[in-house]
Amino acid sequence: MRAETSTLRGGWIGHLAAVIVVLAVGLSLYYASRQIDYEWRWERIPHYLVETGGTEITAPFDGTAKLAPDGHSLSLTPLLGGGEPVTVAGFDRIEVSDGDIVFAGNTLGREHGWSAGPLAIGLWMTLKISLVSLVFALILGLVVGLGRVSHRVVARDLAALYVEVIRGTPLLVQIFIFYFFIGTVLSLSAFAAGVAALSVFTGAYIAEIVRGGIEAVPRGQTEAARSLGMSAFQAMRHVVLPQALRSTSPALAGQFINLIKDSSLVSIMALTDLTKAGREVVSSTFSPFEVWFCVALLYLALTGTLSFAVRRLERRMGRHD
Amino acid sequence: MTELRPLIEVRHVDKHFASTGTRALKDVSLSIHAGEVICIVGPSGCGKSTLLRTLNVLEPVSAGEVWIEGVSVHARGARLDRLRTKVGMVFQQFNLFPHLDVLENLMLAPLKVLRQPVASVRARALALLDQVGLADKARSRPGQLSGGQQQRVAIARALCMQPDVMLFDEPTSALDPEMVGEVLDVMRDLALKGMTMCIVTHEMAFARAVATRAVFMEAGSIVWQDAPERFFSNPENARLRAFLGRPG
Repeated sequence: MRAETSTLRGGWIGHLAAVIVVLAVGLSLYYASRQIDYEWRWERIPHYLVETGGTEITAPFDGTAKLAPDGHSLSLTPLLGGGEPVTVAGFDRIEVSDGDIVFAGNTLGREHGWSAGPLAIGLWMTLKISLVSLVFALILGLVVGLGRVSHRVVARDLAALYVEVIRGTPLLVQIFIFYFFIGTVLSLSAFAAGVAALSVFTGAYIAEIVRGGIEAVPRGQTEAARSLGMSAFQAMRHVVLPQALRSTSPALAGQFINLIKDSSLVSIMALTDLTKAGREVVSSTFSPFEVWFCVALLYLALTGTLSFAVRRLERRMGRHD
Repeated sequence: MTELRPLIEVRHVDKHFASTGTRALKDVSLSIHAGEVICIVGPSGCGKSTLLRTLNVLEPVSAGEVWIEGVSVHARGARLDRLRTKVGMVFQQFNLFPHLDVLENLMLAPLKVLRQPVASVRARALALLDQVGLADKARSRPGQLSGGQQQRVAIARALCMQPDVMLFDEPTSALDPEMVGEVLDVMRDLALKGMTMCIVTHEMAFARAVATRAVFMEAGSIVWQDAPERFFSNPENARLRAFLGRPG
């Protein structure tokens, strides 16, 4: 640590200089934006993150509403079939009048409270598609990575072909192929097609990381394991792979962060992730500057939290060695 | 006459390394019988480590035959993994598993390969650590141990498989001089207990003290073998005399 600090020059003055540069860039951007005809409306943005208008309560079926005297519930008599009236409760504000005919899905009233806005829902979708893709990408990457170091030529060839094809084509094109071709042929949902495209793409990079990790484990480890009577599979499973995965965990975490960012490309499919949600909010607010800054910050929060957590984890694991 | 059958036997073995184009072994034959302690000496690069590695088929031979406990390793369906459980090996670079602690290093193969019950493996592992003087290091990581301690753990790890033969590939060559003694003591102890051993070493005094047979290799061939007394004090072979006469 000591040697490291002695090679750094500038100290706190350097940090100060960095802050000044950032402020200068920010200010000049601000003045530049003042030159164009644009009205900043930041106050609109929180509304799209967290909905404070409350949750809608909708009619479960077509019927006639009859308000209860307490003002917090109503009974709904089915229009057809003459079934028993059903009580719908939990309203803070009722938005229909006594005797109104409502149809299934119509808003009856609202319950106060907070609910997720479109940006928050998009963020959740981004997180969900990234996590699900990560699981499949890890499995795929592990299998292909093992194939790359296999003694079987067929496994080596197939793994190398897969890695070359995937790394040699743009993710956007792969997503189009998965969505329009494979998705149609196998009738996959947009989510499934998105997960498939992202897993296959990330899997190729993870395979290379896994291969590098395995090749970095000294040959003597395999020899020691084999000399103890372990099969090639057992030596890989109990001796080589645990060491390889430990040494590559920073690279794997970096790949996960890339995956989160790459997932923004699935917004071209009918999938409302954070980027797509941003586009929708822009089209309803006409405030593209604020919305895209906000979306960028949300991605940054996600990846920043993750890399922080990974660094903590690494330090804890490092202490055990 | 089963007692005459060697535990390990190699016959007319050749080894070529295609990548370097070298012939590491030329028509080498050697048999190891139960109770023997064989020390292999010779100049660097003479093929003695390669020979040792063919004895448990870590290095497949280019020509010739290898038998382990009477089973040819070249036979169709020969279970190499099974045969290796009978042959322990200790490496120059220790090759302990760094992600496991000492006790786990010892227990891994007996549990996963022999599928023995945890309790008995654990008891045996602890007894072996005691035997090599490291009972207090059971929960240490290999990285926290000195070279001599690591090599003693490696010996205990090989012994934990309860092998019939132990192979040692220059076990003290990577050690600081002050740690050589503790490892040789463990090996001498093992020889006195009657373990069959085959040792590649540069420690001539040790070889002379523990060996029942000494083997001299040069340029990929076994040049001379003899009882240690005659081998070291009154060598009848000119090349061996030259080798032993060299200082160091």
